[in-house]
Amino acid sequence: MKTQSVLFITAIALLLAIPFLLSQGLVDAAIQMLIAALFASAYNLLCGQAGMLSFGHAAYFGMGAFATVHAMNALDGTGLLPTPFMPLAGAVGGLLFGIVAGYFSTKRSGTYFAMITLAIAELVHALAPQLKDMFGGESGISAMRMPAWGFTFGSTNEVYYLTLVWVLLSIALLFLFTRTPLGRLTLGLRENAHRLRFLGYNTHRLSIMVFAISAMFSGIAGGLQVVSNEAANYVLFDAHLSAAVVLNTYIGGVGSFLGPVLGASVMTFFGYAVSDLTQSWLLYQGTLFVLVMMFMPTGLAGIIASLGGLHKRFGVASLAPLVVLSVISALLLSAGGTFVIEMLQRMLSQNYQSLASLQTATRWPDILLFGQSWPPASISTWLVPISLLAVGAVMGYLAKQWVQILIQREALKSESNQSEKEVVE
Amino acid sequence: MIKFKKALCGMAAIGLTAGIVHAAPVKVAILETLSGPQASTGLAYRSAVWYAIEKINAGGGWNNEPVQLLEYDNQGGPTGAATKLKSAISDGAQIIVQAASSSIAGQITEDVRKYNLRNPGKEVVFINLGAGAGELTGEKCNFYHFRFSGNAMVQTKALVMAMKESNVLGDRVYAINQNYSWGQDMEKAIVSFSDLGGYNVVAKTLHDTNKIQDFSPYVAKISAANADTVLTGNWSNDLLLLMKASKASGLKARFGALYLDQPGNLANAGDAALGHYVSHTFNGDAGDAASKQFMADYTSKIGHDPVFIEPQAVWGMAMVADALKRVQPENGVLNVNTLAKALETSKIQAPMGEMYMRAADHQVQLPIVVSTVSKDAQIKVDGTDMGFKRVRVFSAKEVSTPAQSSCKMKRPS
Repeated sequence: MKTQSVLFITAIALLLAIPFLLSQGLVDAAIQMLIAALFASAYNLLCGQAGMLSFGHAAYFGMGAFATVHAMNALDGTGLLPTPFMPLAGAVGGLLFGIVAGYFSTKRSGTYFAMITLAIAELVHALAPQLKDMFGGESGISAMRMPAWGFTFGSTNEVYYLTLVWVLLSIALLFLFTRTPLGRLTLGLRENAHRLRFLGYNTHRLSIMVFAISAMFSGIAGGLQVVSNEAANYVLFDAHLSAAVVLNTYIGGVGSFLGPVLGASVMTFFGYAVSDLTQSWLLYQGTLFVLVMMFMPTGLAGIIASLGGLHKRFGVASLAPLVVLSVISALLLSAGGTFVIEMLQRMLSQNYQSLASLQTATRWPDILLFGQSWPPASISTWLVPISLLAVGAVMGYLAKQWVQILIQREALKSESNQSEKEVVE
Repeated sequence: MIKFKKALCGMAAIGLTAGIVHAAPVKVAILETLSGPQASTGLAYRSAVWYAIEKINAGGGWNNEPVQLLEYDNQGGPTGAATKLKSAISDGAQIIVQAASSSIAGQITEDVRKYNLRNPGKEVVFINLGAGAGELTGEKCNFYHFRFSGNAMVQTKALVMAMKESNVLGDRVYAINQNYSWGQDMEKAIVSFSDLGGYNVVAKTLHDTNKIQDFSPYVAKISAANADTVLTGNWSNDLLLLMKASKASGLKARFGALYLDQPGNLANAGDAALGHYVSHTFNGDAGDAASKQFMADYTSKIGHDPVFIEPQAVWGMAMVADALKRVQPENGVLNVNTLAKALETSKIQAPMGEMYMRAADHQVQLPIVVSTVSKDAQIKVDGTDMGFKRVRVFSAKEVSTPAQSSCKMKRPS
């Protein structure tokens, strides 16, 4: 418990210090990470804790966003709802729409539930472009953050702190919710809804409540997005936002409370940083998701948890080689994979193809990659990724063997302990 | 592309050495969709902007320093664009370029306006090379936004005038468009030019955007309305499938479409496209020396012919270059307010004719060429035996439409 609270305080201190440590562009990326983290947490309440896989959560995020943008324009940041309280409008928007949508969708469970949520999201997505007054048409609705409480809310830093307070507060509330009787019943909903019904609970009403709470916090995330961007556009209802929150939650780890927070922050930063480096960043994102699902279905949080478990079981000394081997293997494999993908992407690009056809000297002119030029037709170029991948695979194999050795060693130890005990007896 | 990167590296090196004498060079940031399903248009704009910046630098850059081009991927949406805009500004970009999407342009123009309000003395200017939504030069118009592409009104006007002159318009016109702001703008334009073209709009249809797989029910409606001509602002699949369905049903109506020249359209539509009309900003077919020279130069630098939106983007940037030329450095740096004022009066001679900026709403006034799909065209498109044959070139004055009254521009004093 003590190490946990130390970790917790350090994390908060780091978050508070971010504007002093990073450039304005990165602070803005941090705002997006916080918003994505809150959205994923809200989603995880429904998906992870209540076991209801929703494919249309962008609808509640978007409703929160539009409720906020209209509130900002209507109230002008004066009266009862000054700028810092604006996400409350998003909460109300998300909650109301969540109650209505939740009433219909939670009548069924499993695949049918997922399909209904998808249909509701698609309904909104198709309707929004046609209602120009409400959703602003193609160029969206814009608003302006008005000064309040002595802050101008003109700088990114002020917006960052506003977002941080809202996100921490919301995640804390979501955490406290898991400790309430209702939060416990939510887990029951996932594990065995039939049994809950036999115990006398109204599971439909329970599901609506959980759904609406999840939608409400999604709405807050949407509201924060609007406060940060000062605009809302019907693009928010796009299916890719619904998909992103599912991916983020699963990559982070659907089983733990903070997993989705981790997944959403990591993936948002990945998108921000990598999209300027390569055109194939969406491919990397997808590959990452597939790999996580295949090899570590418990997500990033799962790795940390299993590392902790191994640490308890085997101690630091025997674990260190495993960690080193795995990290090196992962780095080599991703370096090799990246090389192949980037080379192929450049070779197959239209511009390269047409340049190649213009040049008569060589069919395959050199390609500039990682600050060097590589002739794509020569074997030595391709030897680089092949050797990277090969060494990475060997390292991975060794790491696996090391785990086997550790387990065998443990088994031997317990056997000898047992035989010692027998001797003593 | 590769060649260009090398050139950029070279320029950066020159910039570094020159930087000892002067202050920071002018940075142009392009915020386009460079990945994902919508990337193809964004990449085309990027090639065009590259080409134009290289032209500026070949002519000595600005203040004896090469202009730098920074690239940002807006990740396909307004949220990503807002984030990348902040990065671009904090990287020192003063000129922001974007084109492919009105939803992103709507975000950027508002963000630029607010940023300039909050940071006087550090203004940035938004060069919109293609986003066509009417409100960008209407209720959302702002002093730091300049649009260098045509819009629904101008392009429809040219199309109607040319088709009328060629006696192919008929008097029964069917308007079919996508049900979102662009399609709605198009429908309004088609209705408003009915007197000019001497036609009746017999029916109007707004349909879902990029969702319909089979247009035959719509074609049946067009045929039942006995229309002579179909006018449409549809783009991408919505245009292609519409034309395919009309070919399959043997519809006799002639199409006037704004996006018929999108790469791949003719190859997919086949002979169904013959005799249809398109209004666009450039057609090098059977052109004068200036067009030929531009096309050859572009092809040698970028690797393919300038098609679709590329010529228009190049001239948009050429107008920026014209304005830059007339702005003197203040303490070695570019004053964006002065640049914006120079942009209001910029004027160039493009291969299709004179282009100039209208100060009232910052909408460029540009010549429009109307072409028809024909097998006689010299330049064949998409590997077919068809191409776009020029029908008529309209000067900017001929196709100009008045500025929207909803534009109330606030100018810096």
